[in-house]
Amino acid sequence: MSTTPAPSFDPAEDPIFTPLRFRNLTVKNRVFRSNISGRFDNDDGSLTQTRINWESRFANGGVGAVISSYVPVAMHGRIIAGYATIHRDDFIPLWDKLGQAVHSFDCRYIVQLSHSGRQMDLPGVHNQHRPSPSSTSRKESLHGFLCRAMGRGEIERLVADFARAAWRAREAGLDGVELHAANGYLFTQFLSSAINDRTDLYGGTLANRARFLLDVIGAIRAQVGRDFHVQVKLSAVDHNNVVPWEGKGNTLADTIAVARWCEAVGADAIHVSTGSLFPHPLNPPGDLPLEVLAVTYDAMISSGVDSFRNFLFFRYPLLRPLFRWLWYRIKGDRGNEAISIDEARAIRAAVSIPVISTGGYQTASVVREGLSTGAFDGVSIARSLVANPDLVRQWRAGHDQPAKPCTYCNKCLFNAPKNPMGCYEEARFPSREAMIAEIEKIYHARPHLRVPSSAEL
Amino acid sequence: MARPVPVTAVEGALERRRWLTIPLVLLAGVAMVIGLVVILWGAALAAVYFGGERTPYFASDSEHFKYGSIGAERDSGIPHLAWQALPRLFPETFGTAEQQAAARLRGQGAYNAFGFLYEPASTGKPEPRDLPIGISRRTVRGVEMVWFNCAVCHTGTAREADGTKPLVVAGMPSNNLDFHRFISFVTSIADDPRLEADRLIDAIETGGERLGVTDRLLWRHVIGPRLREGLLARRAQLGPLIGMQPAWGPGRVDTFNPYKVVQLAQRAGDPPPEQWIGASDFPSVFHQRPRDGMQLHWDGNNASLEERNLSAAVGAGLVLEHASTADRDAIRRSSNWLLDLAPPPSPMRAGIDGSAVERGRALYMTQCAGCHGYQGTSGYVFDGAELGRVVPLGRIGTDRSRLDSYTDAFRRMQREVLGFSHFIKTDGYANQPLDALWLRGPYLHNGSVPTLAALLRPVHERPRYFLRGSDIIDRERGGFRSETFDTAEACEAAARRTRGHFCFDTRQAGNGNGGHEFGTSLDEARRDELLTYLRTF
Repeated sequence: MSTTPAPSFDPAEDPIFTPLRFRNLTVKNRVFRSNISGRFDNDDGSLTQTRINWESRFANGGVGAVISSYVPVAMHGRIIAGYATIHRDDFIPLWDKLGQAVHSFDCRYIVQLSHSGRQMDLPGVHNQHRPSPSSTSRKESLHGFLCRAMGRGEIERLVADFARAAWRAREAGLDGVELHAANGYLFTQFLSSAINDRTDLYGGTLANRARFLLDVIGAIRAQVGRDFHVQVKLSAVDHNNVVPWEGKGNTLADTIAVARWCEAVGADAIHVSTGSLFPHPLNPPGDLPLEVLAVTYDAMISSGVDSFRNFLFFRYPLLRPLFRWLWYRIKGDRGNEAISIDEARAIRAAVSIPVISTGGYQTASVVREGLSTGAFDGVSIARSLVANPDLVRQWRAGHDQPAKPCTYCNKCLFNAPKNPMGCYEEARFPSREAMIAEIEKIYHARPHLRVPSSAEL
Repeated sequence: MARPVPVTAVEGALERRRWLTIPLVLLAGVAMVIGLVVILWGAALAAVYFGGERTPYFASDSEHFKYGSIGAERDSGIPHLAWQALPRLFPETFGTAEQQAAARLRGQGAYNAFGFLYEPASTGKPEPRDLPIGISRRTVRGVEMVWFNCAVCHTGTAREADGTKPLVVAGMPSNNLDFHRFISFVTSIADDPRLEADRLIDAIETGGERLGVTDRLLWRHVIGPRLREGLLARRAQLGPLIGMQPAWGPGRVDTFNPYKVVQLAQRAGDPPPEQWIGASDFPSVFHQRPRDGMQLHWDGNNASLEERNLSAAVGAGLVLEHASTADRDAIRRSSNWLLDLAPPPSPMRAGIDGSAVERGRALYMTQCAGCHGYQGTSGYVFDGAELGRVVPLGRIGTDRSRLDSYTDAFRRMQREVLGFSHFIKTDGYANQPLDALWLRGPYLHNGSVPTLAALLRPVHERPRYFLRGSDIIDRERGGFRSETFDTAEACEAAARRTRGHFCFDTRQAGNGNGGHEFGTSLDEARRDELLTYLRTF
């Protein structure tokens, strides 16, 4: 790997910079900004200029499309209060503005429609008083988040919520939607054999467990028609046994079947991740900075019935080795880049729609080889772009890796419960002040302040 | 008053969990308290059972000699309760319960079957003490163990006639004790079904002892099995040796060979073969002070009283590497007491012909005193040019087995393993002082000549077969009464008829009655005079 351009490099022939043509959408290159966000938005779910700045930053950096951060379709599906939602029609103009901003950098914008289910990190005032709706009433395994199994009527209503949210995305002029059916959120809670303990139409067999997801895809198609881009993000393998006494969950074969069914009911692409909870030892792959969690996880202590126990593990250095063992025993000696490439390749071989792979990508040659060998049709990147928002430009300039690559320290992730989203690897910056300045760049909102009317107050 | 609504669902769940948690914590607390109590109870029991060692202290030196511990119980002993139970389990050896009860009324405990001596538990009552003379007790790791001390080999009895009360004499040879038979018994019961833990426990409780739950568990799973394993191990060591030796008979012991196989892990039968027969008489241990510096032991292989005594303690079962200062002090206390211990005067002095004694004395002084010292008017005189020195076997001519049983290889092992440095290998037998001669029959080192009168006879006239085990004084011949026989069969038959008697066959290995023919060529009159004088010793 080299940071100097190869003399014979020609971007026009580089598969990374070949447009990716979906059924209803063409993206100028093969790089997607994967879903990642901070608490940039208002408590009611309306997005802010900070979010527009955040998303535009990556569009400006050269990615072909930005996949929004996790966007709830209902207030009871937020993972963190402070993330923008798309549960109200009057938010359409806001999303329209965001779309315009991203489009202005010749970049597509795909909204990731989501519901937390029981994986609700910071429930906020809207949700703190009730267990989260889920496929199950069994508490979440790592933090002890409370939940209750949804009734059939609730499910049907939520299916409609997803469809209506997709309609809003289309109305806002955005380029597509992604259903976040990976990483432990509500769709995973239905899909996973280790979590879904239902005995009705939505539990038991894989087909039953996939029913909710497939119903949502069908409902979206019914709302937005066949010509709007809809993709699905799936966890290829659950690896649900992070807490040792939990079951392992879905296998790759299960996910291949689900991917085929998604294609059959109208999905235009599959986005391949891994793990049935988030964060997970394999997602995002990298370090486990428990010293960071020791000072940020306290924000989550009141969120779960087991979170104080976890905090003790993070807070007291003598206990940390136990948690590290628990965490790293699943990762083993796997590297950090292209960690799910084999699973993506297997799924791509099983479907006829494009497949996007995620998992630590930041080396052009790795992506190029994956594209050339048919492992995937595109990659999505989050942390490496947070570290280097112009990563794609650097690749285009012929660099294999950025000059200051992401270290996979995961400090960006583990600061999220308490601090603004950004790169916290101080070694990558000339000074701490420079690091803070870089993180706070997106807050240069310069809003047009005005005097509110009495009706607004 | 309505309970306040929890701020969050998690708080509500935690509150509900607390309602469940409180009884669980209480339960856990109770369990912990119970656990703590059990642990403390266990620790207290462990402290009682396994902490330290305890052994009775006796104010009197003579009681200490007879009943005080020298530390042998620690590694060689058997549990006291098992010691008491064995007579109930093995009536064919100890007699029936009725026979044992009758013996108790005569002042004899069960182990008198092997010749162990009992003293009354209290003055004026025949009931014997719990343990015989020579058996001491010590609590080791919570279990009271019993085993030998010095007195087991050095306390005997003498009496005027059958039916009279025996005089127990500490310091004289243990003329009653059949050590060979006792060891054979102890090793033979190792695999006997009656020694199975439950039967042993029953036998213990039949004797009036009530074992608690803990004690029963310990006896069933620890003490009983360990006793059996210990006996099996001891049988593995001693069995081959016992099997290759003629029975020792009462009053005799093979000093060094059991020592070799038990303490020094030798295998009986290893070359040279002649070393494995070595039984000889228990010696008397009076007047140790004047003996200091003499060549001690029958073959005179050690001139250090202290080391000889320590070696004897090892022979009794003390494992030196585990021996405490207290053990050494206990051995020293007995040793010190023996320094000036005088035997009771010979009862044969009464009514004896004084002029004959004088004539005999005159003869003795010219023929014998140089080697043996002499009996003076106020006590024994340990004076003689050759007293306490080894006479080569070629000159003394007595049975060589005892001499051969102590080998130079063994001497080296004693030095290397046990640190004994005063032992030497000699070529004969040491001249012994003859103090308390009246209590020391039969005579010669191996007890092969029944009386002093027989000893003054040429070898071919000495009895070939005679009974050992009597403690009735033979005023005429000097020593203890001993019926003699012309044939082994007659001798054996007589021995079977009389409990505690043993047919001594001088033809057997180690039992030769030859040698020491001094005085055998005297005429009858002078021989009688010499014998008269010797009977006053």
